[in-house]
Amino acid sequence: MANSNSSSLSRRSACRHKRNSNPAKPLRRAVDVAGLKDVCQVAVRSLLRTEEAFLSSLARINDIVLQPLLRTDSDDQKGKEHMKLLLLLSDRYHALWDRTEENYKTLKQKYNTSESSLTVHDIYIILKKNLFLEVYTQYFTCFTNYAVVHGFDRAAKQTSGYWKTNKKMLKQLLAPSISEPTISISLHLVLHESIRSQVQQYALILTRLNENAEEVDEKNLVSDALNLYVKLQNFISQSLDEASLTKTLWGSLGSKLVSSLCIPERRLQEDSKCVPVSISTGRFERVLLFDDLLVLQGSDFRSFDLKLVWVDPVSPEKSTPTSHSLRIITPEEEFLLSSKEAQHKAVWQWKLNQVIRQRLDEKRDFPLWGKSEEGLDPCASRFSTYTFKSECRFKNAVYEGEFSWGKPHGKGTLKWPDGHNYVGDFKEGLEDGFGICLIPHSSEDGYDCYKCHWSEGKMQGYGICEYSDESVYKGYFKDNLRHGFGILKSPVSTKHPFKYTGHWDSDKKMGYGIWDDIESGQRYIGMWQNDQRHGAGIVVMQSGACYQGTFLMDKMTGTGILISEDDSVLEGKFTEQLKLDGKGKLTFQNGFTLEGNLNNKAGKDRQTQGVLNTTSKEQDYGITRRLQLGLDEFPVEKRWQGIYDPFFEFISSGCREETEESFLGIHVQTSKELRKSQEYLFCQRDSEEISGKIEDVLEALYECQDPESLQSYLQKALNSSQHPFGKLLKSLSAVFQATYSGIGANWHLLHMAQEEVKYHAWKIWEFYRNFTHVASKQKGKPLPDTEEDTEGSEKENPYTLILPLILPRFHPELFMLYMLYHEKEDAFYWQGIVRLGLFSDTKLLEFLEVQKNLWPLKDLRLTTNQRYSLVRDRCFLSATECFQKIITTVDPREKLGILLKTHEEIETIVSRVMEKEYKLPMDDLLPLLVYVVSRARIQRLGAEIHLIRDLMDPKNEGGIYDFMLTAIESCYEHIQKEEIRLYRFP
Amino acid sequence: MMAIRELKVCLLGDTGVGKSSIVCRFVQDHFDHNISPTIGASFMTKTVPCGNELHKFLIWDTAGQERFHSLAPMYYRGSAAAVIVYDITKQDSFHTLKKWVKELKEHGPENIVMAIAGNKCDLSDIREVTMKDAREYAESISAIVVETSAKNAINVEELFQGISKQIPPLNSHENGNIGTIKLAKQTSQTSRRCC
Repeated sequence: MANSNSSSLSRRSACRHKRNSNPAKPLRRAVDVAGLKDVCQVAVRSLLRTEEAFLSSLARINDIVLQPLLRTDSDDQKGKEHMKLLLLLSDRYHALWDRTEENYKTLKQKYNTSESSLTVHDIYIILKKNLFLEVYTQYFTCFTNYAVVHGFDRAAKQTSGYWKTNKKMLKQLLAPSISEPTISISLHLVLHESIRSQVQQYALILTRLNENAEEVDEKNLVSDALNLYVKLQNFISQSLDEASLTKTLWGSLGSKLVSSLCIPERRLQEDSKCVPVSISTGRFERVLLFDDLLVLQGSDFRSFDLKLVWVDPVSPEKSTPTSHSLRIITPEEEFLLSSKEAQHKAVWQWKLNQVIRQRLDEKRDFPLWGKSEEGLDPCASRFSTYTFKSECRFKNAVYEGEFSWGKPHGKGTLKWPDGHNYVGDFKEGLEDGFGICLIPHSSEDGYDCYKCHWSEGKMQGYGICEYSDESVYKGYFKDNLRHGFGILKSPVSTKHPFKYTGHWDSDKKMGYGIWDDIESGQRYIGMWQNDQRHGAGIVVMQSGACYQGTFLMDKMTGTGILISEDDSVLEGKFTEQLKLDGKGKLTFQNGFTLEGNLNNKAGKDRQTQGVLNTTSKEQDYGITRRLQLGLDEFPVEKRWQGIYDPFFEFISSGCREETEESFLGIHVQTSKELRKSQEYLFCQRDSEEISGKIEDVLEALYECQDPESLQSYLQKALNSSQHPFGKLLKSLSAVFQATYSGIGANWHLLHMAQEEVKYHAWKIWEFYRNFTHVASKQKGKPLPDTEEDTEGSEKENPYTLILPLILPRFHPELFMLYMLYHEKEDAFYWQGIVRLGLFSDTKLLEFLEVQKNLWPLKDLRLTTNQRYSLVRDRCFLSATECFQKIITTVDPREKLGILLKTHEEIETIVSRVMEKEYKLPMDDLLPLLVYVVSRARIQRLGAEIHLIRDLMDPKNEGGIYDFMLTAIESCYEHIQKEEIRLYRFP
Repeated sequence: MMAIRELKVCLLGDTGVGKSSIVCRFVQDHFDHNISPTIGASFMTKTVPCGNELHKFLIWDTAGQERFHSLAPMYYRGSAAAVIVYDITKQDSFHTLKKWVKELKEHGPENIVMAIAGNKCDLSDIREVTMKDAREYAESISAIVVETSAKNAINVEELFQGISKQIPPLNSHENGNIGTIKLAKQTSQTSRRCC
């Protein structure tokens, strides 16, 4: 204490030192300090005096009142509860007593030893004001709790015997003004009056000190403490009032109501008997507002936890002049409180809101009703737990989570007693947003787990469901049912494992879909209705055979065609086992046909009676092999509508961020991405990552106007699993694989596959255009380049921009189909390549009749024993190497570029040989090209050429690229010729 | 601006009759504003006005050697016109020409415009094929016929003008809407359907 004092003195002297330009002030200050010391001493003296009296009074009350009360026996439940409250009261009493005594003693000692050094800091009621505040509020809380439950009445009765003999002593403890109180009232008074008046004493001492203290710092200390004790006084009188009102209320109510509502801590805050309001629901006539409950009382009663009560003042326009209403909103009930006076409504509104706010804060205001930010209404959004009771979907379910205006709103958990539960987003009382739902299976010991998007209480949009039988559905829902596009996969372990990739309607397979029967290795590609194959369909078998026909409720109907592994085509009616039923027509690979009864019985050669027709045209050779299925039956634009529709809806609904997932599917981090993100922790950010957030997407698409940056952006977008385009492409490649991989690698499906890839590119292009339109609309600016489709210049289009970017995803399956389709030609071609490989360079040039003046022999340096006739793979080497690069890319445009370069290389070499610029006419060029192609030895060249031709920009047709590709194709055809394949060296 | 029509033209004829020389002459003689890339003398383009259209000729050369004859369909598929060249000094080349005409009639694109060019008319003193024979033959197959000299630039221009005139003009309203119409496109697609 002395230390701090000296430091404050030295601070003051420092002050003086600073301001010595004005000598008058320091002088006055010195006087003040002396005066303050004086004032302090006075205050300390009066504090010591009053504490002395208080302490002895506390001791006496303890001996005469508190201890005897504590000695009573409690036999019944209620008695035990009362005793608990009394013990708590005694505990707080002693706490208050002890704190006072300790501090009193310390001060007293200091006062005795060095009175002159006392300062404001020694006055403990100032310095330790918060400690005193705590012990006093706690004491009065316990005291009123005991009083409210009629504790003193019961105690008085129980100790009546004792008081008969000691009544006098009790009376002595009371103020003389009170005449003949009952024992109960006496006990009540004795146990709070002196304590309450002690607070008053403190306030008095501080008031005096405050008046005399002038030094600014100290004055603040004093006035703060004074304020606090004034507030404490307020608090004490308010809580005593509240307690007595509440106590009276319990006395006036029926025992049933009391027993269910009466708890020590509960206080009445408002009563419709004092401030009248009527209730819109007829059964109740009285409203009681407690600090935690709102109670409606009639013959029965209803109580509402204030945490879940919202007060909506009905606007004045709506209420009549004679009725002013408040709408009370609770989770399952709403009613009006109406009063005739606007004032009464205001009182109720204010009180309700204040009490609700305090209830939510779980803290009463101090002093009561005296919060400084008065009128602050409670927050509309709250976190709470509620059990639904009324007859509805939520009956008996427990909701824990955010509420707003009586309804679950925000994040929450809903649990039904049967184990069904939902965790996720709510909106206005219903599941809305993303949520995970577990539905127990009645028969099995498992759950169906839905991770899905919800709207107005139902599953809508994209979701993933893991069923209790371990099958998994990933796709779209509508009204809680599978609807739109989705993939359902059974676990491998089940009896009949399957995978369905396709469209749904109300939980049933409907529309175009692919069904894999994993056991039999059959794949059905076609139309569905009501979970059954219905309409046009193709069945592909592991053997390579395939069937195309019509299905009616899962059964084959009408005529169909069966293409067997050897490419003979059988036309007719078929049984379920794909055996011909009745008459049919068999077309052999060479175009011969056989008509009649063609039932083939197992284990026997085909024995049949029919008409063999061998008069078919020569062109029919291979016609069966070229047969392409599904083109007319499944128009490409209708095949995967279920994937495109949500994307389109997303765009046309304005690309709102929160709807992105429900339309476009959930981003599930792959392990690769996870690894990447972990690497990110250690390394620098990977610049390849792009944002999938829709606003960023729109911004980026708007910004990327020049083809190069657009292409690099789209490249990243299509490879990102978060970007809308990436999500779309993922689905598209999934369905492509589901159709054409494995068993689906059947060359009769090549055209279906090829047109599907092209259509995907078109669609993505269309979506890209739609996105940029949305972006420009949102920006309120037109696109910088609004000229569209004018002039067939070298503008970007789906073939130049999109196809090269998406093709890598489809290439493996697609190229496999091309390889199968061109297998025979490729085999012939390879024979030719092998044969030509035996020639030396000069022999080959000669064989191909390349004009001698074009032979690049000058380029060859020969060692001493070498002759030209022995050199192999040296001529036109750079052209050959250039051509070989064709397999390093899947992009048709790049491949075509390589072809042009190959020609340039040839021309360069020829010009060098001729020693002048030489433009090769086709008569010269074609043999040279055959030479280069044969030296390049590219496998599967037929598949390559046709993939390029089918997927190149149609604008190229007739143009330079088309010409070059045709030239290569003609080389390929030429090499297949017998004269080359079967050439015998002379 | 004028609409550009791309017309694929295929060159057929024996080796040595001067197929590409005619085209080289045609392409070089006039200064072309936008020089299009070529494949040597094998693929060239040239744009000429015709009425209120521009005709962009995409000229595809073919190898004249007998052994490559079977590859020709790949080149002439989708062509709007075929220029079949013979050497007036070689009766054989006129014979080959007849074979090409026959093949085009049977397997070529429908409505293909055929133009017969008797090249090397500068060497008429050693001619083997008379003008009359050529005319009569051309009339019988309703083809254009001219005698040209790539060397002296005779009738080359006229040959292609003749082709331009034979190409049916587009409907005027279609003309206004769409900038580019590719005649080759539709025909080539239908022809590919078979494979």
